[in-house]
Amino acid sequence: MRAEEILELLRDYIVEAKSVGERRIFATTDAAKYRQALRALKDRGFVHLSTITGVDLGDRMEVIYHVDCGGIVLNLKLPLPRESPSLRTVTDIFPGAVLYERDLMEMLGVRVEYHPDPRRLFLPDDWPANKYPLRKEE
Amino acid sequence: MNSLDFLFAYFVFPGLLFAGVVGLLLGGIDRKLTGRMQNRVGPPIWQEFLDVGKLFSKEDITPSAAQGLIFTAAPLVALGSIVAIFLLLPVNSPRPALSSVADLIVIIYLLNIPAICAMLGGYSSACPFGVVGSGRYIAQLLGYELVFILAVLAAALRVGSLSVADVVAYQAGKGWLALQPRLLPAAVAAILAAQGKVLRVPFDIPEAETEIVHGPLTEYSGPKLALFRIAYDIEVFAVAALIVALFFGGPVAHTLDGIYVPGVVSFLIKCFALVLLTTCVRNICARLRIDQALKFFWTFAALLAFISLVSVL
Amino acid sequence: MTFVLPIGPQHPALKEPEHFRVEVKGEEVVDVDVRLGYVHRGIERELARRSFARGLFLSQRVCGICTTHHGLCYCQAVEQLAGVEVPERAEYARTIMAELERIQSHLLWTGVAAHEIGFDTLFMLLWRDRELVMDLRELISGNRVHPSMETLGGVRWDIRPEHELKVERSLKKLEAEVKRYIDLFTSDRTILARCEGVGVLRRQDALELCAVGPTARGSGVPFDVRRDDPYAAYGELEFEVVTEEGQDVLARALVRLREIMESIEIIREAIEAMPKGALRARFPPEVPDGEAVARVEAPRGELLYYVMARGGDKPERVRIRTPTYANLASLKPMLVGSTIADVPIVLASIDPCFSCTDRITVVDVETGASKVVSKLELRRRTS
Repeated sequence: MRAEEILELLRDYIVEAKSVGERRIFATTDAAKYRQALRALKDRGFVHLSTITGVDLGDRMEVIYHVDCGGIVLNLKLPLPRESPSLRTVTDIFPGAVLYERDLMEMLGVRVEYHPDPRRLFLPDDWPANKYPLRKEE
Repeated sequence: MNSLDFLFAYFVFPGLLFAGVVGLLLGGIDRKLTGRMQNRVGPPIWQEFLDVGKLFSKEDITPSAAQGLIFTAAPLVALGSIVAIFLLLPVNSPRPALSSVADLIVIIYLLNIPAICAMLGGYSSACPFGVVGSGRYIAQLLGYELVFILAVLAAALRVGSLSVADVVAYQAGKGWLALQPRLLPAAVAAILAAQGKVLRVPFDIPEAETEIVHGPLTEYSGPKLALFRIAYDIEVFAVAALIVALFFGGPVAHTLDGIYVPGVVSFLIKCFALVLLTTCVRNICARLRIDQALKFFWTFAALLAFISLVSVL
Repeated sequence: MTFVLPIGPQHPALKEPEHFRVEVKGEEVVDVDVRLGYVHRGIERELARRSFARGLFLSQRVCGICTTHHGLCYCQAVEQLAGVEVPERAEYARTIMAELERIQSHLLWTGVAAHEIGFDTLFMLLWRDRELVMDLRELISGNRVHPSMETLGGVRWDIRPEHELKVERSLKKLEAEVKRYIDLFTSDRTILARCEGVGVLRRQDALELCAVGPTARGSGVPFDVRRDDPYAAYGELEFEVVTEEGQDVLARALVRLREIMESIEIIREAIEAMPKGALRARFPPEVPDGEAVARVEAPRGELLYYVMARGGDKPERVRIRTPTYANLASLKPMLVGSTIADVPIVLASIDPCFSCTDRITVVDVETGASKVVSKLELRRRTS
């Protein structure tokens, strides 16, 4: 599938999109539609979620789902408010997301609801509860 | 035999000194050969002497949580018993230093004592590795010992006697038992069981790779470990010696060109060949799982021994 | 059966980089939980505090075995941001170094796997052959372990004609040896006993859990970044994506061994086709704002770098997703249903990048007693 076709597939779920070269798409979605976008991709046979990245942009958080679409990397960006950012798990769509969401929770403090196993992943057990290493210091 | 002769036999020849030197030398040759087979240089053949000597110079430690009496006694009893076996094995002549009517049974019993001591050492060491290693050791013993006993029994039945001296004497007249078709399976089974007895790959299941501490012996260090090491090296020699005596003719004196070659020479050569065989096998196999090892012993190896047993009845 | 195995002061477990909590019923594994973090060094945060140029050296040191791939992936991401096009000769040189790395990584892994199943001779022989590759890397770049050949804009040194001769000689030797190893792995009874049918990962699970690399390809999933999302010179080279259908430890081992053969061919092709030209392009002093995603097929699987630049000479955010990270979730279906005896070799079969000192907790579901076992101990106990 080519980049244009993927964008067409996701037309209803994304707010804006940009293609870079032949094999990179950066698209922005929102909290209401991101799961539908991911579901549409999975139903189309794109089952490989490479990873989930969390970024603290200062004025907002951004969660990026990197999905492999037959060699094309679709970077689906979900902006979240910086105070108490939360979203729903996608492990029901992509079971392979289970560890990446835990990483997101502990490093950036994004609350992932309905995650089957919301424990710490990398940080030591005695790491203080409300410190998130990848958040920007005030 | 008077007490002076006994002491000489026990401590010098064929006892501690002889068995110890030969055992450690065989251990060193094994390591050198292993190194070469693995495309390495390998340690010199007297490395075992150096290692054991170094261990003796170290501090003698008993873990405070261990059961000190058993922990300390285990290596001593192991060494004591394995040396005692050499009094009962024919080393220079068909007659061992000490012989009695049913000494094969005593030998088999004594041959298991170092293993039992290792297990006791592991259990008494208050160390988790030791406990688990000992458990595996017991399981493995149940595997190879059955095979070994069946094979030995087959040889004994053929000769009609439970005395090692008789078996060797029989072979002096009738040739090696291993060359008799009815007993060849038993010989093979005995060698397979021996690989398990001396804990060599594919049957080194109870103990770990040599870079790390080994199963039941994990908490042993210094002189106690040295004693266990010597006991182990002598055990390898003893197992080979027993199989040589039962199946490969034992010590036979020769006269070559008018020079008298005492039996101990042919004995040593045969033992050496057998130990080399175990070394080669251990370098060309991966380690089996305990269930796979048991299956192997109880089906294939036991069958071989059983065939011989039945055919000599 | 409960295991009373505490972590003592001299326990090697104290240095381990990962922890698996294995629940058992008797000998059978019922559940697995992974606990990470033991060598967590905060690299992503550190990369955001270093300039792009310095960040390269840090990225190369994420891993000692797949260092070239990390460096390469980082360079590709930053080059994307800066809009720099790498000269063709450099792309080929990068490809050759990457494939040399793949060969030595797979040989290393196979040696470790042999050691896990108690086959030390094989371990020694494999690592002996690995030296051929290490010598080549030293020849070309001056370093055995961190060749550090790649740099922003290209490569630092050239692969010269005299190198090419030596490379071909070593490749010939390697080819013959690896053919023997493949034969061995498919015929030796003891190896088959320990690897066949062990640690099965069904194709469906590999897809669902987003497995990558030989772990996925050993379960019949033909996912290879070199083919699907070509980088460096892979777009111009012919090669096979090696897959196996066995889904077990043996299949993953064979994938790696056969990939070595493919890598040898790729290197030969690349040397043939390598055009003359510059080794590096000029790299601008400032990197414009933007974001980039680069992927490479590291020896263990898909390696992904996401880099965002937002002014300044340092990246705003660098996200690294290593292939082992992607494969950890797949360990659960592999281990559940296995016996404890198989745990060390199954863990090794995903080629984890922290192989030496993993730690496993064994929990008996019936009694609830839980003890901690080091991988070394597990290997000893279960062999």
